[in-house]
Amino acid sequence: MLTRFFILVGSRLISFMYFLGGLGTLAFQTIYLTFTPPFKKDRVFEQAKKAGYDSLPIVALVSLFIGFIFALQTAYFMQRIGSEIYIASMVALSIVRELGPVITALIVAGRVGAAITAELGSMQVTEQIDALETLAANPVKYLVVPRFLALSVMLPLLTLYSDAIGILGGYIICVFRLGISSSMYIKVTTEALFYKDLFTGLFKTIFFGMIIALVSCYEGFNVQGGAEGVGQATTRSVVVTFIMIIIADCFFTAMFYFIFP
Amino acid sequence: MIFGKTKLELKVGIFVFIGLFILAVFVLSIGGVKTWASGYKVNLIFNFVNGVKRGAPVRFAGVDVGEVRSIKFFHAPQDLKTKVRIVCWLRKDVSVPLDSVVWINTLGLLGEKYVEIMPGRDYKNILKPGHDLTGEDPIPMNEVMKEAKNIADNINIGVARIINKEGTVGKLLFDDKIYNELEAAVTDIRNNPWKLFWKTKEKK
Repeated sequence: MLTRFFILVGSRLISFMYFLGGLGTLAFQTIYLTFTPPFKKDRVFEQAKKAGYDSLPIVALVSLFIGFIFALQTAYFMQRIGSEIYIASMVALSIVRELGPVITALIVAGRVGAAITAELGSMQVTEQIDALETLAANPVKYLVVPRFLALSVMLPLLTLYSDAIGILGGYIICVFRLGISSSMYIKVTTEALFYKDLFTGLFKTIFFGMIIALVSCYEGFNVQGGAEGVGQATTRSVVVTFIMIIIADCFFTAMFYFIFP
Repeated sequence: MIFGKTKLELKVGIFVFIGLFILAVFVLSIGGVKTWASGYKVNLIFNFVNGVKRGAPVRFAGVDVGEVRSIKFFHAPQDLKTKVRIVCWLRKDVSVPLDSVVWINTLGLLGEKYVEIMPGRDYKNILKPGHDLTGEDPIPMNEVMKEAKNIADNINIGVARIINKEGTVGKLLFDDKIYNELEAAVTDIRNNPWKLFWKTKEKK
């Protein structure tokens, strides 16, 4: 019984090490190949449209409602202590620092990351990736680099949209529901925000984008079996991406606000 | 495919353009215009600044007109004291008379400190850029507490004496004698109102 437990833990640990090693190798290859010619721009644009432009409606919708919810939740408490005006700064700070980047990254991970894993997985299953290699095309260069570039550039931009729309959501609730004057809301928001809040929020999304691209591609390349394997890989990719994004976020928050404040 | 002519690139282009536009709006609105507005710096000298921080607002007659740019110690040899020099940035259109009163004030319940300037009367002598103005020291919190404790102690002594039925007030509160006398007097007058007009014979 005890030995079986240790065998289980050990095999999990070893497979985790394999995963980390594979991810690291893929990351190094991708970063190396990103800066070596030939550069294929149109493939990057295609991925940029998929990751950025096509994700915008859902990101906008979710951010708007997050803004609504946050303003309402804060209002419930702030009205009791009679300082409704701080709702604006609460909404602005929490959206720009945390909610905007993380919500955007999670949406993109669910929407784009899953699609990448499914796409690469079915290519792997139907041996198209092997075919690429026989054609002397590096699959990492051809498949991973455009997604990596597109996600790490598009995620900060999407986060900017998310921040702006989230603050707009808070504005709508505060101005039309709670009766705070429009100019007052804008003034409190701009006073509450600092460059640090905005740029740390954007900086971490670059890494979130890289995590999404690398994990999804890694899981896609490592599909085994047929259609079922693709399904499993997609699930695993989304779960692993979520966990890694949250951990990275914790790490960045600790770094920006406690270690180098 | 000719680069730069596809619909795909147009979509990505619009997306990136609006994103950068939002970035520009954020950056401009966060920084505020005040970083570019022209102004001047003055030095305020204090003995004690009660924790004013960089970026704290400066208020002239209650209006936000600038901010604290730097806070430094220096030793003033003539009166052997360590003093604090606060460099404040003020808007260009604000002129501070030299007889203004400057002190550190506390804002609201959150306790944010700011520099308060109460304008003086003599607008012929105004504070020029780079010049010094000595501020009044805020009363440190522990002195306020000390004074409050003194007062509380004194009250305590008084109250203790009253509770111990000492002194006039103590007797007034705890001694029934005066009440009984008063009641007897009132009852007496009520029963015999003519007594009010009755004059006792003075003994000579």
